[in-house]
Amino acid sequence: MEKNYIEVIMLERETNLTIGKTIKKKFIIAFLTGFLALGGLLAVFGFSGTAFALPLGGIGDFYVEFDELNGTGFKLMPHMGETGNSDAEPMVRNVIDEVEITNLHIYKDIKMPTGQWVRFHIRANGKTTISGLIQDARLIDADLSFNKLAIKEKNTDDYTKNWSQNADSITIKDATLVTDYLFQQAVSLQGAKISVEKIDKPKTTRK
Amino acid sequence: MNKREAWALKRTEKKEEKLQRKYMKLSKAGRFKRWRNRRPFWGATLTVLAALVILYIPIHLYAIAFIPGSLVFVGFLFGGLLLIVGSFAYVYPQFSTVFGVISIFLSVLSVMGALGGFIVGSILGIIAGSLCIGWERREVVYQKNQQRKQGGGLKKVQSSDKEKQAQAAQA
Repeated sequence: MEKNYIEVIMLERETNLTIGKTIKKKFIIAFLTGFLALGGLLAVFGFSGTAFALPLGGIGDFYVEFDELNGTGFKLMPHMGETGNSDAEPMVRNVIDEVEITNLHIYKDIKMPTGQWVRFHIRANGKTTISGLIQDARLIDADLSFNKLAIKEKNTDDYTKNWSQNADSITIKDATLVTDYLFQQAVSLQGAKISVEKIDKPKTTRK
Repeated sequence: MNKREAWALKRTEKKEEKLQRKYMKLSKAGRFKRWRNRRPFWGATLTVLAALVILYIPIHLYAIAFIPGSLVFVGFLFGGLLLIVGSFAYVYPQFSTVFGVISIFLSVLSVMGALGGFIVGSILGIIAGSLCIGWERREVVYQKNQQRKQGGGLKKVQSSDKEKQAQAAQA
């Protein structure tokens, strides 16, 4: 009785209230429109095989393998960068203006919360063209050939300018690169496939 | 009264009942619940969350964000704008539809430059924007016993003028 009386008093005092509610019809229309727009944008990228400014970094070592790479406007410089296990690790920074790669294979080993290791693969069976490539590598295992190679040294304390290696064009064959950072201004992957597999142990280059 | 009209009347009555129930619940609710009820709370919260997820990639790439031609800067811009829009949705609930449309637009475009926060941010942003668009505010006026008997109950008033008129009528 007393509770009802209090309720009535409260309602007498406050005769209007703002009630917010979600209109289902509006929500569904907006939701579908949004997904349609997202799907459309991804489809455009999918048809042209292009992703803009694809960055990969801060996730630790990942492996890049390919049969052949032809690049123009090559620069190589020393670099200190963050890896998955350390804040500063010595590595080399490769900058190539235009790149064409055949049979590209990128993979990364990740430990799941369950303790199981999985390997994510990105494969492109066709030709991969990249413009504006920046890549930080800890290890390069490949057959390299350069055209108009110039190695410069400078007497400076800045280690990034201390030494550089430039070439008009570069050809890399049967390469395995341990990469810690990869940035591409625009990339086109023909015949790209992304897959995941369970593995027993991660691949490592550390001793 | 034909079938259609009867059905429409039934629907309106059901809506009224729902509003009544919500009114009763809110009249007993605490301050936070009332504050939350006056704005597109979940839409705004999810928008802010989506913005943070989208900003994750550009923040990690801040070193190259200002290189000419770099799209990372665009990722910063989209994520930052989404954060502002989400915060404003709390403060200006009357513009929730506009904020919702902007949220969806920015979330979709953030695929460029920020990879849409590994697409998770984009999806969150679309859901958040849809919640903001679908959100509606209703001023519910409680009609006292006499008017209720005359066929009132709870009355929806869209604008403040109408509300004033109703209060004058009650007096």
